[in-house]
Amino acid sequence: MDFSLDGIVIIVGNYGSGKTEIAVNIAVQHKRTGMGVRLADLDLVNPYFRSREAREVLTQMGIEVVLPPPQYMNADLPILDRGVSGMIRNSNGLTILDAGGDDVGATVIAALADALKDKPLQVFQVINPFRPYTDSLEGCQKIREEIESAAKIKITGLIGNANLIDDTGPDHIYNGQKFIQELSGQSGLPVLCITVSNNLLSAIDKAKLSYPVLPIYRQMVPPWRKTERFEQ
Amino acid sequence: MGKVLMKGNEAIGEAAIRAGCLNYFAYPITPQSEVAEYLTKRMPEVGGVFLQGESEVAVAYMIFGAAGAGERVFTTSSSPGISLMSEGISYIAGAQCPAVFVNIMRGGPGLGGILPSQADYNQATKGIGHGDCRMLVMAPASVQEAVEMVMNAFPLAEKYRNPVMILGDGLIGQMMEPVEFPDHLKTEPSNKDDWASNGMDHRKRSERNLVRSLFLDPTALNDNNLQLKAKYDQMKKEEVRSESYNSDTDYKVLIVSYGTMSRVCRTAIDALKEEGIDVAMVRPQTVFPFPEQAVRDAAQKESCKQVISIEMSMGQMVEDVERSVRGGKPVHWFGKCGGDVPTPEEVVDVVKSLIN
Repeated sequence: MDFSLDGIVIIVGNYGSGKTEIAVNIAVQHKRTGMGVRLADLDLVNPYFRSREAREVLTQMGIEVVLPPPQYMNADLPILDRGVSGMIRNSNGLTILDAGGDDVGATVIAALADALKDKPLQVFQVINPFRPYTDSLEGCQKIREEIESAAKIKITGLIGNANLIDDTGPDHIYNGQKFIQELSGQSGLPVLCITVSNNLLSAIDKAKLSYPVLPIYRQMVPPWRKTERFEQ
Repeated sequence: MGKVLMKGNEAIGEAAIRAGCLNYFAYPITPQSEVAEYLTKRMPEVGGVFLQGESEVAVAYMIFGAAGAGERVFTTSSSPGISLMSEGISYIAGAQCPAVFVNIMRGGPGLGGILPSQADYNQATKGIGHGDCRMLVMAPASVQEAVEMVMNAFPLAEKYRNPVMILGDGLIGQMMEPVEFPDHLKTEPSNKDDWASNGMDHRKRSERNLVRSLFLDPTALNDNNLQLKAKYDQMKKEEVRSESYNSDTDYKVLIVSYGTMSRVCRTAIDALKEEGIDVAMVRPQTVFPFPEQAVRDAAQKESCKQVISIEMSMGQMVEDVERSVRGGKPVHWFGKCGGDVPTPEEVVDVVKSLIN
């Protein structure tokens, strides 16, 4: 892993930008270094693909996962577990909050304002330029403003997540990097990392990459696919 | 435009716009609410309208109104919402108006659950509303196919002046896949002046167009039903679509499966092949009309000993499979309900149990 985080990290972004996949992968990579890692699923708006899907894998690795009680796991209800604020107050090592999509999903962050007060926060906006509404710098800026206003916090950095899932090729990664570079220049926000699927890494010319890389082992998969095993 | 990464629900909304549909009325329900969410942003950008009704009952009649006036119109909902719309759908079919309905199915009956299901098969293909009404029903297995089916649904609805349904399970709405949009639909010359209640100004003939499903004269009502039947018979001749998988082998088992369930079956078929067991699949792309001939032909192959319908319901499509096979080979069923999608491993085990 080419970068290291600690403290409280909040992952935000538009619907389907890849927040959960990134939150889960960052959690696993940091756990590997021996750090204490916690992940809270704050996605109250998406009923299907949330980090709760990866609960078993994460728990086995010793990552503390804060989710609503099991009987409400498939409820179409916005349940924010009270464990989340406790986990923020007593955080050491790395605490990752995986927020829901858009401003609607980020609203929950504002509800945690008391617990987050006076804590140093790193808030990353995940950008996939192959998604509708974040395919332009203006679109990304607009979503940034909407999320900041709903969550009542400032975004502090960017994560480039250019991908078309299985259809991603090296050019998508290079073009995505160019996009996030321009966005960083325009917004003044630093880029934490860009993501590359583990399966694509060998096809990428590392010399062409100017940011740290987060390899993605895909966990959010449909039932006919197997989740990708994290390298031992 | 190159490929984009979209959630099925978003792609369905975009596909409707590209099919020239600028009228969307709906009421939110999981797992299809993202269509409304997407079109809230998107419709104003293209000069279209999204109006949320007070309920699904209201939405069905808003659709009827727009369709009766000759406008391209569509709605999306999920199982309980479609039940509420079914009265209106029958009215629309009776009045011979074109409209597109999307059902992103969730588990039932009743409120059921929010996870994927295919348990509205019978409702969609056989009992969408009272009276002798039916719909053309297409069932996509990928986000790309959902886009193509939605775009085709509008001209088909207009060709038949009848509701057309896209029947997807919750996964179709919720999963993300790369997708490419065909060019905007070239709108066919419309025949709507012959039937739509769209004003007299530009009409060539002097009679009014009446949009109605009320026929108090028994002969007139029978005539209307005969017209409907003729259309449904024509759909059976002209619109049946299906796809085969691994069918050029000496397969012992034939799977019939549709929607995302068929993708689980595909993974299972690939796994069985690695073990030296050939299994074929017919995937209905239209479920009404049902691909009877394709299923019958595939079942009749000499090597084929068993036929199985695999569906996320308690055995609905299996009746159409039995009807198609006509007793030629034993027909079985395997399925699950409640959102727990059968896994490829479970399908492999079920197929093995049939041949051992």
